[in-house]
Amino acid sequence: MTKLLPSLACALALSSFAVSTAARAQAEELENPGTVNAVQDREFRMSHELTLSVGVLPLDAFYKGVTAQVGYTFHFTDGFAWQIGRALYSYNLDTGLRTQLQRDFGVLPTAFQEVQYMVGSDLIWTPIYGKGTWLNRSVTHYEAFGVLGASLLNLTNGLTTASSTFRPALNLGLGVRIFGSKHVSYRLDFTDNVVISTDKIFNVPTLQLSAAFNFGTAD
Amino acid sequence: MLGSQPSQSAGAVLPASLKSTPTAPPLPPAKKADPKTFDEALQEYFSKRPHLAAPKLYAYLESTSPTEENYAWAEYFLARSLIDVGLRHGGGYYLSKIAHERSNPNVIPKALESLKLLTEIAHDETMIDEQVFGSLDLGFLPPEVGDYAHYEQGMVDLRVGNERWANTHFSKLDEKSVESSRARFALLVTRLKTLKGEVPTETIDGFLELSRDEKLSPETRNEARLAVARLRYERKDFPGALAAYEMVQLPKLDPGRASLYLEEAWTRYQLGQVHAAMGLLTTLDAPTFRDEFLPDKYLLRSMVFRDLCHYLPAKRAAKELTRRFAESLEAIHDRDDLTHDGRLRRAAESHGATQRAHKFLDAVNLEAERIGRYAGYFGDRLTGHLTKLYDLEHAEAERVYRARVEESVREEADRLLRAAEQVRLMEYEVGLKLYERIKKGSKAVIPIEEDNLSPAQVAFRFDGEYWNDELRNYRVSLKSRCVEDTAQ
Repeated sequence: MTKLLPSLACALALSSFAVSTAARAQAEELENPGTVNAVQDREFRMSHELTLSVGVLPLDAFYKGVTAQVGYTFHFTDGFAWQIGRALYSYNLDTGLRTQLQRDFGVLPTAFQEVQYMVGSDLIWTPIYGKGTWLNRSVTHYEAFGVLGASLLNLTNGLTTASSTFRPALNLGLGVRIFGSKHVSYRLDFTDNVVISTDKIFNVPTLQLSAAFNFGTAD
Repeated sequence: MLGSQPSQSAGAVLPASLKSTPTAPPLPPAKKADPKTFDEALQEYFSKRPHLAAPKLYAYLESTSPTEENYAWAEYFLARSLIDVGLRHGGGYYLSKIAHERSNPNVIPKALESLKLLTEIAHDETMIDEQVFGSLDLGFLPPEVGDYAHYEQGMVDLRVGNERWANTHFSKLDEKSVESSRARFALLVTRLKTLKGEVPTETIDGFLELSRDEKLSPETRNEARLAVARLRYERKDFPGALAAYEMVQLPKLDPGRASLYLEEAWTRYQLGQVHAAMGLLTTLDAPTFRDEFLPDKYLLRSMVFRDLCHYLPAKRAAKELTRRFAESLEAIHDRDDLTHDGRLRRAAESHGATQRAHKFLDAVNLEAERIGRYAGYFGDRLTGHLTKLYDLEHAEAERVYRARVEESVREEADRLLRAAEQVRLMEYEVGLKLYERIKKGSKAVIPIEEDNLSPAQVAFRFDGEYWNDELRNYRVSLKSRCVEDTAQ
């Protein structure tokens, strides 16, 4: 019986707390009933999207890629889209490390694989649509999205075309879009291509800034 | 000083306000200006140094006969210089002088054009509208200002209730001119004021036509849309009224006018759209409208709560009016000078003729302070002259403002008293409902269905932070607590 007392007191305290919280909520509802929402027509709606992008392949220690990409996306709804096709070309710049390895340690130049170009297709999910103010003077709309798709990468050693190989990759990433007008918006995408090879799995992340041109919206 | 010049004997044709030019300060007589002064002044003016041009032009005017060829031009450029340094009333005074003296026909059209521009901001309505445009001989005027003068003279006739004479002026307006559209607007408003009984459809159609007239300014087109909405509301055509309110176009991020939201809220309430009406009342709580005088707001909120059987909030909303306007109501009951009541005075100053008078008084005060800033450039003579000119104008502007505000505060006080009376009735009614017994077996009424979001819509939860782009879009979700036998 004595062991039961503390747990009974505890239960009583908890139930009285729950009752008082519920009573407070009820009183609040009685005094200030209702909820308020600002319901607006969505100002920016995407339909057929053509993107022109520039970016970088920043991860590889032996080279850095400066990229240009073109893509087309069809938006089924405001929240769901299919980037039907994208094609990226990378202009690669050797880092000092690669030169040093070749010169000082006799590493063969063919040992280094670089992304030359890649193509792919993705599904885009946009759960976040919002707005912010710029210096309290104008309202800017934005959305944030997730990307999941597949890529096909062309890898070379940078010396001969004969060494060129193709590798599939799983592409996933995140992005944010800022709307400039109904027809022009700007995207920042960060994606990672998880390259699946017979001997290893490695990552090719991309960081891209795009101008997106929207066609075919009703308004 | 100008009034003391020999040329001002021609001031027999000058109107009262212009005749009352300030007397000369105790300064030595003006020296004879160098003949080159006028050219130097023009050089300063066209080099964008109006503050240096003004004293030279004034010195030239002081020492030159009005019959001189350049006299009117000197007045014109002095006016332009004063306007450029922000002394608009001083500029308007000299432009009006040119219009009355008519000494140089080449200067008059330019002076009138400048005066027309001055009428777009707070200005001396008697000096410019009535004594210049309202009394000009219209024969010699170029078409650019002729239409405006005809419009103003028609307006003067309308104000004294002579529509036939006004029509004589309005009929001479070019159909494609903005003045023609403004004249039609003024005629419709005047007819409404004298109308007895139901508003004819033609009047509403007239306003509707004006609301689409691209020649009119966006503000005037919105005024026409509001007129359509109000007239349809009076005729109990609530869907039509709502359509007209929705036609009102606001510039991007413009908060709009409180009266627009309140009227739309009443219309939606009449249409049974209580949630949208409550949304608009939420808009009226925004900081932008905090100082607005809207006694009806509390009454309407109370009515919505009552209709949804939220009796405590209904009672509280009703009490809010008497609490918020307690000082004003007390001042009315005590028969105090209502112009000393801040809320009533602000309400009176927020629209119509009182608003214009208040704005002009503020402008005169501001410009009078500005004279001191340029005193170093202007010299004693021009500074003294302008100081006296502004002192006289300030006295007149204040007199006009006081007369108008005294009348307007009485109207606002009447409005407040009517709302307070309605609120007391509401409090009583809600008090009865609050303690009404619910019969056994009563069921909750079927709630009013709220519109679901369409795919093209997006909802932002309101958490007390007002965004200007959302002010017309608030929707309140509020469940009815009514039971069948108490439901309306």
